[in-house]
Amino acid sequence: MELNFVSVEGHSKNYKIAVGVLAGLFLLGLICYGISYYKGHYLFGSSNVIPWGFPIVLTIYFIGLSAGSLILSTLVYVFGQEKYKPIGRMAVLLAIVLIFGALIGIAIDLGRPENFWRLFMFFYWNNMTSMFAINGILYSGYFIISIAYLGIILSGNKAWMKRWGILAIGWAALVHMGTGAIFGFMAAREAWFTPIKPLEFLTCAITSGLALLIVVLVLTMKFTGRDLRKDMVVSLSRLLIMFICILALLIFLDKMTHLYSPERAAVMFSLTGQYAWIFWVLQIGLVVVLPLIILFNKKLRTVNWIFIASVSVVIGIFFERYFLVISQAAFPQHYYPGHIEGVYGAVGTFAITPVEMGITLGIFTMVGLLFLLGLKFLKALPEKTAEELAAEAAKLAPPKAEEPLKTEASPKAAESSAADAPQKTEEAAKTDAPSENTHANPDENKSS
Amino acid sequence: MARWGMIIDLDKCTGCQECTIACKEENNVPHGSLEEQIHRQDPYWHKVIAASEGEYPTAKVEMVPMPCMHCDNPACVMVCPCKATYRRNDGIVMQNFRRCIGCKYCMVACPYGARAYNYKEQEDVQYNRIDPPLRRDLIGNWPFPHRAHGMVEKCTFCFHRIEKALMDGQEIGTEVVPACVEACPAHARTFGDLDNPDSEVSKLLSNRTSIILREAMGTQPKVHYLTK
Repeated sequence: MELNFVSVEGHSKNYKIAVGVLAGLFLLGLICYGISYYKGHYLFGSSNVIPWGFPIVLTIYFIGLSAGSLILSTLVYVFGQEKYKPIGRMAVLLAIVLIFGALIGIAIDLGRPENFWRLFMFFYWNNMTSMFAINGILYSGYFIISIAYLGIILSGNKAWMKRWGILAIGWAALVHMGTGAIFGFMAAREAWFTPIKPLEFLTCAITSGLALLIVVLVLTMKFTGRDLRKDMVVSLSRLLIMFICILALLIFLDKMTHLYSPERAAVMFSLTGQYAWIFWVLQIGLVVVLPLIILFNKKLRTVNWIFIASVSVVIGIFFERYFLVISQAAFPQHYYPGHIEGVYGAVGTFAITPVEMGITLGIFTMVGLLFLLGLKFLKALPEKTAEELAAEAAKLAPPKAEEPLKTEASPKAAESSAADAPQKTEEAAKTDAPSENTHANPDENKSS
Repeated sequence: MARWGMIIDLDKCTGCQECTIACKEENNVPHGSLEEQIHRQDPYWHKVIAASEGEYPTAKVEMVPMPCMHCDNPACVMVCPCKATYRRNDGIVMQNFRRCIGCKYCMVACPYGARAYNYKEQEDVQYNRIDPPLRRDLIGNWPFPHRAHGMVEKCTFCFHRIEKALMDGQEIGTEVVPACVEACPAHARTFGDLDNPDSEVSKLLSNRTSIILREAMGTQPKVHYLTK
């Protein structure tokens, strides 16, 4: 199967609006971060009881999506599953964008971000028994490896694609197991302390990565007017079923290990305490129950329903992270036999603050923005087929008649539409992304 | 080399919190506003918890003062990525403010909740004391004397007093003790060298029943409690 990849032209109104909105929200996030840096972390919801807040939730969420997405891309380039080829490049692009978002999330959570470089003084000023330091190697290596991987895929060297893909898949698995170890090795926090955590994280990563890939695939294909192949989505959804089942099993084992041992207060708090609804409704409900109901139902085996199931998984995994980092940390530590009175024995509360929400939104939109720009500057999307192009031309014909009206209103629009015209014919002639695209871009960002 | 440790007699402790206040004075730990305390974002180096057991006629409440336990096998030192937390040769677990990046991993790892984060830029940002001359063989890198928000803080066993006493040749444990030990009106606290068999702490440990908190964690704390 020969398949060519192209970039989006980035001249449509939708694209400009999307980039503009995302850039605006990203700016908001930057401002919020500036405020928090100068004023201190009291603007966040985290406290001495729940030390980690939304930035860390986002970080492990993004790392999971990224690692999962990269592992899935190797289905194409290492395991030779040609039917998934149309999504291969997009998966790698997503992985890079998401790991970048995760690294930003870590930097934002640091109280002294100007000391960030100390995390990278490997073996010299670093304490290599710390899971953070080990993960520093894993994350930065992963970032470099996945960028190189995308470069190799774009260059089209098949032998290296396979070799580098094997390295990337192994490294991605390590990255996520390392992230699980950050939590799983903490003996002081009973609810986190389990050897199964790294595996749970890995499964979580693949599940959420797969679900996100389906979501992004459906959305991108829809908005760029490409024909979505139903059989591919259905086969991806079968994979999703498998990973959701494994994940459910691991969660069950994790909770059972804690429930079976006499010291079960922490996990009883997770399952029946004041935050248990997050676990039952948002985690189990959205990740396991709802998607499985949809995906096992033969009548609902359509692209739209699979899309809904995938969105549910993507949202549910976010709350899985939230529950892990924030709600489970809220359980007070048992310093002394008996019931600890007062503030030191109270369950921690997490206040959602505007500044933290702004930063969270900023990280999300930054990732979305980078992905959109990546689609524009890299050839990540499968090329349109002849029928799709014909359909698009038929669709575009009526609005073109209206364009003269617009040009009267604003001369600037006339320029851009005039610049569009030659490029569209070029694209129809199946040429690669022309350099005019990159030239046109800065103006476009300014105007939006 | 000495191995500094503390004995707290729970029988004598009345829970008056004088130790907490003395610590705040000595180390300029910010008092924290009401809002910070509601959100539990106030910095503290020392806390007194109340543990209750049983119902009214047979109820019992124990006041347990908790400084940093200065574990011999500290979980925080294990997880600190930047060597900002380290165990000195004399057993004191220190926090180097110059190195701390504020990742809060040590707060997650500490089984005693001994660490607090500095959430807010405070007005009083400096220690009001003249730092004693450095003895690098003993103390390693000197912690950054300036306080800023975004770093994890903790009890130091008043290491500056110990340093000064070593310079001046005073006896530690009788003449010079940490601020909380000095302030305790009930004389519930004793400070000294756990390795020295003649010290007060060694004698107390051998004569009385003592416990350490959360022994199952394997952290081997150097703060011991004498039971009621």
